[in-house]
Amino acid sequence: MGNVQMLLRQHVGAPCTAIVKAGDEVKKGTLIATPAGLGANIFSSVYGTVAEVTEDRIIIEPADEQPKEFVPIDVPEDASKLDMVKAAGIVGMGGAGFPTGVKLSINLKETPMGELDPEINPELPADFKLEHGYILINVAECEPGLEHNIRQIEEQCDKVIRGVKYCMEITNADKAIFAIKKKNQKAVKILQKALEGEADISMHLLPDIYPMGEERAVVRECLGVNLTTMQLPSAARSVVVNLETAAKIAEAVDEKKPCITKNLTVRGKLNGGNAAHVFMDVPVGVSVGELIERAGGIDGVYGEIIMGGAFTGKSTKFDEPITKTTGGILVTVEFPDLHGANVGLLVCACGGSEERMREIAEKMNGKVVSVCRCKQAIENKPGAPLKCLRPGNCPGQVKNNMQFKKDKCEYIIIGNCSDCSNTVMASGPKMGLKVFHQTDHVMRTVGHALYRTLKVSKQVSQDIDF
Amino acid sequence: MSITAETAKAHAHDPAVLCCRAEGGITIEPANLEDPAIFDDLVDSGLLNLDGCLTIEEVLGAKLLKTCDSLCPLTADVVEGAKAPSAPAEAAPAEEEVKEAVPAPVAAPAAGGILKIHIGEGKDIDLEIPVGALGGGGAAVAEVPQTAVASVAAPAEEAKEEKVVRTLTRKHFNITEVKRGPETKIEGTTLYIREGIEAEVIDNQELVKDFHLEIITPDLYHTYSETIMDVQPIATKEGDDDIGTGVTRVLDGVVMMLTGVDEGGVQIGEFGSSEGYLDENIMWGRPGCPDKGEIFIKGNIVVQEKTNMERRGPMAAHTAFDIITQEIREVMKKLDDSLVTETQELKQVRRPGKKKVVIVKEIMGQGAMHDNFILPVEPVGVLGARANVDLGNVPVCVSPLEVLDGCIHALTCIGPASKEMSRHYWREPLVLEALHDEEVDLCGVVFVGSPQINAEKFYVSKRVGHTVEMMDADGAFVTTEGFGNNHIDFASHIEQIGMRGIPVVGMSYCAVQGALVVGNKYMQYMVDNNKSESGIENEVLGCNTLCPEDAVRAIAMLKTAMAGEDVKAAERKWNPNVKSTNVELIEAAYDRKIALEENEQSLPMSQKRKEKYD
Repeated sequence: MGNVQMLLRQHVGAPCTAIVKAGDEVKKGTLIATPAGLGANIFSSVYGTVAEVTEDRIIIEPADEQPKEFVPIDVPEDASKLDMVKAAGIVGMGGAGFPTGVKLSINLKETPMGELDPEINPELPADFKLEHGYILINVAECEPGLEHNIRQIEEQCDKVIRGVKYCMEITNADKAIFAIKKKNQKAVKILQKALEGEADISMHLLPDIYPMGEERAVVRECLGVNLTTMQLPSAARSVVVNLETAAKIAEAVDEKKPCITKNLTVRGKLNGGNAAHVFMDVPVGVSVGELIERAGGIDGVYGEIIMGGAFTGKSTKFDEPITKTTGGILVTVEFPDLHGANVGLLVCACGGSEERMREIAEKMNGKVVSVCRCKQAIENKPGAPLKCLRPGNCPGQVKNNMQFKKDKCEYIIIGNCSDCSNTVMASGPKMGLKVFHQTDHVMRTVGHALYRTLKVSKQVSQDIDF
Repeated sequence: MSITAETAKAHAHDPAVLCCRAEGGITIEPANLEDPAIFDDLVDSGLLNLDGCLTIEEVLGAKLLKTCDSLCPLTADVVEGAKAPSAPAEAAPAEEEVKEAVPAPVAAPAAGGILKIHIGEGKDIDLEIPVGALGGGGAAVAEVPQTAVASVAAPAEEAKEEKVVRTLTRKHFNITEVKRGPETKIEGTTLYIREGIEAEVIDNQELVKDFHLEIITPDLYHTYSETIMDVQPIATKEGDDDIGTGVTRVLDGVVMMLTGVDEGGVQIGEFGSSEGYLDENIMWGRPGCPDKGEIFIKGNIVVQEKTNMERRGPMAAHTAFDIITQEIREVMKKLDDSLVTETQELKQVRRPGKKKVVIVKEIMGQGAMHDNFILPVEPVGVLGARANVDLGNVPVCVSPLEVLDGCIHALTCIGPASKEMSRHYWREPLVLEALHDEEVDLCGVVFVGSPQINAEKFYVSKRVGHTVEMMDADGAFVTTEGFGNNHIDFASHIEQIGMRGIPVVGMSYCAVQGALVVGNKYMQYMVDNNKSESGIENEVLGCNTLCPEDAVRAIAMLKTAMAGEDVKAAERKWNPNVKSTNVELIEAAYDRKIALEENEQSLPMSQKRKEKYD
């Protein structure tokens, strides 16, 4: 096992402050960094010795022996469940990394309905109110190619449900809904069986389009309420929790276990084929290279390594560590070569940032001459990540295509969702624009259909008819 | 792009086309529909066929029968429960015809475009280029029912008396010959300019490296010249009179003309300059240009290399050249009144009770080489003036008579066809027209600079908004010179005034090359100053500047707007016929003949024009 690197910032908020120094002995579960502002505790994920503390990380040299035992979180006997979640350093494990202890500090019973924007909620009456408080469990696993979320439902359904019940208790929610794509038939069946007799916990089936896992998309699908980009799910009297986060909450409460491991999918151009390698409970801080080796190693030349999913992930390097929010490591096939042709970028909240899109264009040897932004991609604050006004429902793209044409683009690279990509395709090729999607190299690698025209419905029946 | 409920209402009679894939069974709402503003381009490029397409008001709330893809026109066979159209679309044009046939209605002109780009509060402007050359200047015809005219005229009856605030007397002296001599003097109608004065011009400014004086008489019009930097009246104040009041003496038949290059032979304002044969590059008779038959005292200045595109180069040239003009002014002060050929009295008239209007003139202040000296002691002088850039481009309020008395000494830059020379202000047509129009009360003129940086542009445009607000104006004109960069300020000035509920008529050269790059919802009343045949910046001095014909159209349009009447939206592409239609409508309504200016086609064809433009 190579050195383990614990980044001081693996959550939304400020970097944590290291409380260990080089030479310190640490165990699994030793508290090594504490929040300086918004954040969550960070624990060593291994037994070993602190080799170095740098500005952004703590590097630990692991011991040869790695017993299973861990140091339980340090909370008083009468600590509340919320205190345990906070102490365990749990953050949103779906990728966003918002400190879970902060997120759950809400009393949904007393939380009033937020003011709904009639423009995006034309079908709701002005005085629409939700009668219940909800925990919405995000099982969408929307990034194509990843499988660890569904695997966890299949293998640890009970633990997840326990975690959900703790969330309900902490937040005074009286209902919970699992949001899961209908295509995951095995997991749906397992969940259905596990929820028998659970009067207050139900399941909502999602269509197989991107994005369904976006927080506000989950709220809309489950509750029929469209939130603005500035509104939190609490405006719909709900809290959205990723299933893996729920499982971590169960571990914190039941076992006093700190958040030190992560489930993830390693996949791509690997020796032995492109099937997904799901690794459960990988110590946080392990390097990308080590996980790729564990999955068989890279098969020949490759395009890039992505940490996270095809849409929202970023390129990474062998020696970078995984964090509490890493869901995937994808090794892609090589990029096509555009030989310096003019390229337009259609930047969207659903895909990579403009910086990421530019990186992809550069890797494709294209010259970026035009950048458009999807009309619905809203920048709440200057520099803040884009958020989609109506995730998964296109606002029209032809105007952007006209702009690309005007700017003399030969190719365009789009980062849009299923619906918007479909719209781009309705006019782009006819105008003579050659369309790439930013996820193409990943989709080719994992054998997933490219994001172009939309062939499935955005609606699925809620019947479990399989 | 999908539209809002508000846009859907505005486009109720336009075709309904899906912006995105929509699934069978949905209820059609505005978010499903594409913005009709872009249909023309889509139809042109064969991407869209609107045959049999229902209108937006028909399909809203109806059910879509089957899943249709993006850009699918909604026809009767895919929609269930379409509403009946409220006013058959075919009837609309017919109605217009009827209106036009009625003899009495006053028609007001319009030129311009309603652009669909919003500038939020004048901040974070996205420079979106209207797809498909919206031809910002394009034009539109507005028709004003008689009632509207009445509402403009009504207050007139109870109006109080006209008030003459102040007067300005212009004493004209005629010059028929300009010669060189041992001293600068005027004898009869002959002006002598001292020999050797060139050395003093050169010595005056460090950056001035060489200077030559030429007397261009009409027989010498076919002389090659470097780019024309300015055309100035030769005028002086009597006694201690201030600009804009008292008595001004002016020479007729002669103008000062400054031309120049840098030491490397690069034109001042290379990249859009008017060098060439004078008779091929001057639009005679424009307010800012020489009139045919006038003598030019033409000074050609060579400035230090590479200062041709910096502010200090042209500033030095103008300052040095003024030495000659000033020497003539001193002579003029001593002229005997018996030589006066004509005395003209200009009155600043206020008309209480009439619609109060203000003219906001945007002048260049980017500073690289473009600036304006404001309020010199002598008409179009240098001494005592403050540079617009040094004043921070902020609004400066002046009286209409100050404008006409040469309060602006213009240091124009590239783009000679649309730039206002110093002489332009001396004969500013909109100021003259508004001052003489008995139906409006011109309260004043506001000059505002066009700074280089966007943040500064909005700094000054917000000042303009407040300035006009506290005037309690009923209407405003915003004029600009040039095109492109300055249109950002232009749009913002209009927005700042418009958002205060004051109708604004915008005047600019736009046409083809100068199509507006930004816009907002207050830019509904636009007059295009273009005169060129092809709608371009043809580098012919003054060709596309504001002329009397534009002033007449603008005033008629502002009256329409102040009466609360709609001005028809611009056509999508620049169409010069709209302007001629407007002119005809005004002529009929006001029973007056509007003389239209000639354009570059009346000039001998220059090699440059032949190669580059026509």
